[in-house]
Amino acid sequence: MSTVLEQIEQQIARLSSKAVRKNTGVIRTVADGVAKIDGLSDVVYNEMVQFPGGAIGIALNLEQDEVGCVVLGDISKLKEGDEVQTTGKLLSIPVGKGLLGRVVDALGNPVDGKGPIASTETYPVEKIAPGIIVRKSVSQPLFTGIMAIDSMIPIGRGQRELIIGDRGTGKTTIAIDTIINQAKINKVGLASGDKNFRPVYSIYVAIGQKNSNIVRTIGALEAAGALEFTVIVAAPAADNPANQYLAPYSGAAVGEWFMENGMDALIVYDDLSKHAVAYRQISLILKRPSGREAYPGDVFYLHSRLLERAARLDGKGSLTALPIIETLAGDVSAYIPTNVISITDGQIFLETDLFNQGIRPAVSVGLSVSRVGSSAQIKATKQVGGKLKGELAQFRELAAFAQFGSDLDAKTKGQLDRGARIVELFKQPAFSPVPIEQQVVTLWAMQKGYYDDLDIKKVTAAAVSLRDFFSTRKDALLTEIRTKAALDKDLEAKIKTAVDEWKSSFAA
Amino acid sequence: MAAHQKQVQQLARQLFAMSLADGSLSAERVAGVLEYVEKNPPAQPMAVLLAYRRLVAVEFARGRAVVEHAGPLGQGVLASIESAMARRYGRPIVAVSKDAPGLLAGMRVRVGDDVYESSVANQLAGLSV
Ligand SMILES: Nc1ncnc2c1ncn2[C@@H]1O[C@H](COP(=O)(O)OP(=O)(O)OP(=O)(O)O)[C@@H](O)[C@H]1O
Ligand SMILES: [Mg+2]
Repeated sequence: MSTVLEQIEQQIARLSSKAVRKNTGVIRTVADGVAKIDGLSDVVYNEMVQFPGGAIGIALNLEQDEVGCVVLGDISKLKEGDEVQTTGKLLSIPVGKGLLGRVVDALGNPVDGKGPIASTETYPVEKIAPGIIVRKSVSQPLFTGIMAIDSMIPIGRGQRELIIGDRGTGKTTIAIDTIINQAKINKVGLASGDKNFRPVYSIYVAIGQKNSNIVRTIGALEAAGALEFTVIVAAPAADNPANQYLAPYSGAAVGEWFMENGMDALIVYDDLSKHAVAYRQISLILKRPSGREAYPGDVFYLHSRLLERAARLDGKGSLTALPIIETLAGDVSAYIPTNVISITDGQIFLETDLFNQGIRPAVSVGLSVSRVGSSAQIKATKQVGGKLKGELAQFRELAAFAQFGSDLDAKTKGQLDRGARIVELFKQPAFSPVPIEQQVVTLWAMQKGYYDDLDIKKVTAAAVSLRDFFSTRKDALLTEIRTKAALDKDLEAKIKTAVDEWKSSFAA
Repeated sequence: MAAHQKQVQQLARQLFAMSLADGSLSAERVAGVLEYVEKNPPAQPMAVLLAYRRLVAVEFARGRAVVEHAGPLGQGVLASIESAMARRYGRPIVAVSKDAPGLLAGMRVRVGDDVYESSVANQLAGLSV
């Protein structure tokens, strides 16, 4: 009898050699979103580990006798002694066009109550950024729809342009305007049937924000009809720090999928200051040594590896990044701002003073730069706006000087007057991006002095009126400006006729 | 605080290194280490001994295959697991059996922190996911 049993057991033993092998560990402590684990001798850096009850973690600290994991999901059910398994996989999230119009969390799970995501593909959240060889220099424009930016601080596809400023200076608004503008351009481009048209899909990553703010942003996108071209990755302030830490990389994965598949995408990280804070919290719990402002030593790498993923790839698509950083009292020399400034290709600096004076968007032209975008700017904008930045800089200098004396010569007075008009011209309400062809018309009229005889306070309204006139009556001309993207004698003559027509009706 | 912990870990590791003979754990050496600690107590004897215990336990588990199974298990099975695992890991491994009625049928073998599973309960759990 026992030999029969033995035979069966031998068979079982042979089976067991085909058994699945798992590397396991045991939770030693769990607190504040971080679990310290004994064992897991095979785990690799950034590997996904499986906790009982479905929660997953990412191994961030591999030490001689313990592994530190951030826990994504519900930590409350985990306890000391629970078994943890390695998965052999790096964290991946669903990607693809099925995410457009959806709101997902840092793991790609839908949080908008619209049912499951239609996606068959997944993409690793952490990935080495494209190398130098496959990158192409920036040469195609990405229009923000904000005149001050498109004319003086132009952005190209694949560029990384930082939006930086104090609290409540309109940082988010600029990013949302840009997303709305992409949606508008997409609709026009896709309707035109142009085979070469390349739509831009947007990803908005909300990190550490209040839920009410995120809801407001989604509402603005929806109202503008931009949600259908946008993916929203949300890790609100109430989410655990691990999810906030992860969300930008998840967003980057979604964007990279578009890029790798020959499409163009735009990603907004709102904001990386809060991201750094979430990472600092995790690092302190993991007992990593901390340095300046208590941030861990690798906080630079945290953002550089993220922003390096934005690129324009040879033969493929592009990913443009608009990271946002919040400053305190305009201090750009704090640790995180200086880091991110050094990683990006320029910055749009927003000033509280300008904002409070009603100069909105509060872009400080003198402190803002775009290091690579000018090669992507269309010729028409260069023709009508090429001198604006210089003129504005001169205006600021003279304005400061003019405060001291009233005896100004006619030339200086003229320059001051012109500068003040340019400032007025660039005022633009929130969520109303201006198409590039309309910008060309607006600036052309400035260049030719059409606003010079107006009361300064009326310049903004005049520009709005001019654009209304063009969009209702000169649609064909606008299309011609957009498609030619450069002004020749013939086109300028047409613009002049139209602007004259508007001027007579406006003055009347 | 952190510096203290580091010292404790370091001392525990030294004690552990002394507990190995030809790369494997020796009961004789362990006894010697304990005697030494008894006679020359370090700053935090409790913490050092706990850390030492963990290191020894991990090493001990590396040399053992704990075979969990439902129902009786013959000596032949243990011996074959022993030799299979020893081949796999390239070090001597002693198999010990442990009754686990919850498995229904089949078995689970644990060597260090690796787990080999082919139990019916596990497959059922896999199906239910
Ligand atoms: N161009 C604009 N014209 C008028 N109002 C604006 C403009 N831009 C922003 N605002 C208003 O200013 C307020 C702050 O804008 P926003 O939320 O974009 O700033 P923020 O810098 O992102 O703020 P936070 O630091 O809170 O994230 C909002 O009420 C917004 O409607
Ligand atoms: Mg904001």
